[in-house]
Amino acid sequence: MQTLNLPSYLDQSPEVAARFSKLKSRPLILDVKHLNKTFHTHTTLNDISLQVFRREFMCVVGPSGCGKSTLIRIIAGLETTTSGEVLLEGTQVSAPGSDRGMVFQGYTLFPWLTVKKNVMFGLEIGGRSPVESESEARQWIDLVGLSKFENSYPHELSGGMKQRVAIARALANNPRILLMDEPFGALDAQTRCKMQSYLLEIWKRVDVTIMFVTHDLDEAIYLSDRILVLGTNPSRIMEVIEVPVPRPRSSSQFLSPEFLATKARLEELIHGPEEAEAMPLPKIRLTHAGDDVE
Amino acid sequence: MSKGKKWLVPFGTLSEPRQLILLWISFALPLAVWAIVSYVPFVWHPLVKIDDPGGVSYFTRDALIERSTFKAENAKLAASGGHIATGTPANPVFLPAPHEVAVAFYKSFTTPPKRKGEKWLHESLWQSIQVIFWGFLWSSVFGVPIGILCGTFPFFSRITEPFVDFTRYMPAPAFGALAVAVLGIYDAPKIAIIFIGTFFQQVLVIANTTRKLDTSLVEAAQTLGANRRQLLFRVVVPGISVDLYNDMRILLGWAWTYLIVAEYIGASSGITFFINQQAKYRIYDNVFAAIIIIGIIGFTSDRILDWIGRQIFPWQKGVKKSLLRAILDRRRNSTQNTETANANA
Repeated sequence: MQTLNLPSYLDQSPEVAARFSKLKSRPLILDVKHLNKTFHTHTTLNDISLQVFRREFMCVVGPSGCGKSTLIRIIAGLETTTSGEVLLEGTQVSAPGSDRGMVFQGYTLFPWLTVKKNVMFGLEIGGRSPVESESEARQWIDLVGLSKFENSYPHELSGGMKQRVAIARALANNPRILLMDEPFGALDAQTRCKMQSYLLEIWKRVDVTIMFVTHDLDEAIYLSDRILVLGTNPSRIMEVIEVPVPRPRSSSQFLSPEFLATKARLEELIHGPEEAEAMPLPKIRLTHAGDDVE
Repeated sequence: MSKGKKWLVPFGTLSEPRQLILLWISFALPLAVWAIVSYVPFVWHPLVKIDDPGGVSYFTRDALIERSTFKAENAKLAASGGHIATGTPANPVFLPAPHEVAVAFYKSFTTPPKRKGEKWLHESLWQSIQVIFWGFLWSSVFGVPIGILCGTFPFFSRITEPFVDFTRYMPAPAFGALAVAVLGIYDAPKIAIIFIGTFFQQVLVIANTTRKLDTSLVEAAQTLGANRRQLLFRVVVPGISVDLYNDMRILLGWAWTYLIVAEYIGASSGITFFINQQAKYRIYDNVFAAIIIIGIIGFTSDRILDWIGRQIFPWQKGVKKSLLRAILDRRRNSTQNTETANANA
C-alpha cells in the first residue's frame, strides 16, 4: 500500500487549538469515573473514565463488541454498572431520566401517536400543560423541518424523517446531554449524509451536549470535537482523539489532510496494523483460467 | 386486474377481487359437498324411503329402511311371488338436505314453541348471547388488567402465572356441579363456566402479548422521563392495544365454544336447549338451522369487530380512510385548532 505523506493527527491549527482550549474551559456536563461492567464472568467495560464538556460533540467508536453501546446505555441509566459512577453536572445518576435524552438505532417513535404527539410525550409526562407542550412541540418539529408532517403517524414517514422526529422528541425535554446510539445506522448512505449535516445544524442552534456512538469513522470525524476510541478484550479506552478538522464542517473536508490523518489513526487503533494479515485467504481458484478479471 | 399473475405465490398478496372469489368458494365448497351428498343418489343414501310397503308386514309408508334389509325382503317376496315393495334412496333423518334446512331456517323463527314455557328461537338466542356477554365481560374485567400486569412486571407474572397455568388445564365444565351448588340453576352458573373457561386463558394470552411489546419503546419512554405508572398507561397499554384487541376477538370465539357446555348446566337453556328439544322431536332441519345461526352470529360479529378495530387504530399500516375515520380525524383537527387558538390568544 502506498503511504500518503500526512501530517500528524496531533497537529492542530491555531484556530482549532484555541477551540479546544475554550471547550475544555467550559463546565463539565458528564463525568464518568472508573466504570466497570462485568457480565457473568465476561468483562464488557474495564475502568472507563471520561469527561464531556458543555456543548461538546463526542463520538464513541470501536470494533464491534467493544461495549460502546453498553457505555452509552449505562449513561442513559438503561443498564447497571458493576462499579464506578456516572456524574451528570456533579450529580450521580443510575436510573433513566429526562435530563439525558436518547436516540436509538431502531425506530422508537410511538406508532400510536402522531409526530406532534410523539414530540409532546416527554413534555406532557413532565407535567406541562397540553397547550404549552403543543406550542413547544411545534417549535421542535419546525427545527427538524417536519412541520408539514406534524399530524402524520410514524408509519407514514421515511426512516430519516422518523429519526428527525426522534431527535426533536429527545431535545424537546431540554436534556443536558443527548445520547445517540448509532442513530443513522439503519439509513441508506445518502440519507445518512444528509442527517449528519442536519444534526450539526441542530446542534449549532441548541444548547446541548451530544454523545454519539457509531462504527462509521467518517461520520465520527465529520461530527465530533473529540472521538473516544474503545478497544476490545477487555473493553477499555484506547485514546481520546481531538479532531483537528476545523469547523464549520463540510463534505469537502473528507479529503483534507487533517481528516485523512485522523482517519488513518482511527484505522490503526481499531483494526491494528496486523489485521490485514490476520485473515490470509487460501490460494484456490474457482474460475476458469480464461475469464481473467485482474 | 391481476391477469396473468399466479394464484399460488408463497407469502404473496392477492388482489381484492381474488380474495372475494376465494371467500365465496370457501363457503360454496362445503355447501356443494353437502348438496351432492343430499341430492345425488348412491353417493351415500344408505336408506330407502318406502313408497309402497308391498307384501312386507313391518314396512310402512315413508319409513326409512336399511338398503340391505330392503333388498333382502324384496328378494324373499320375489321368490315367493308376493307383492314387491318400492321406495326411493334416502339419507338418514339426521342429515337433512340444504333446501330443507333453508326452509327450517325461516320456519324455526316463525314456528311457535311446541309446549308452553318453551322459548322461541330468537328468545333462546338472545338468552345465549346474554350469557356469553356477561361471562366474557366479567372475565375481561379481571383478565385484561391481570394479564397486562403479568406481562409488564415479572413480579406479577411469577406470583400469578404458575397457578393460572395449573388451573387452566382443569376443564371448565368440571366446575359445573360446583357452580350450580353455589350459584343456583339459572344463568349465574352458566356465566361462571364461561368465565372459568375464558379467564385463565385470557391472563396468559394477554401476558404474552404484553411481553411481546417492543422494549425499545419502553426504553425510549424511560429516557423521556416516564415513571412506572406513565409507562403502563401511556406506553404499554396503547402499545399492545392492537394485539390486545385481536386477542379479545379470538378469546370471544373461545367463549362461544364454552357456551354449549355451560348451557347444559343447571336448567338447560338458550340455544342449547332449543337444539336439544328439536333433536328430541327429531326435527333435525331445525337443529342444523340453529347450529348454522351460531356460526353466522360468530362470523358476522367477528367481521364487525375486525372492521371496528381498523377504525379505532388509525396508526396501523394499510388502513384505508373510511367514513368513521374521517369523522374522528375531523374531531381531532378541530380540537387541535381550538387548542391553537387558545395558545395564540
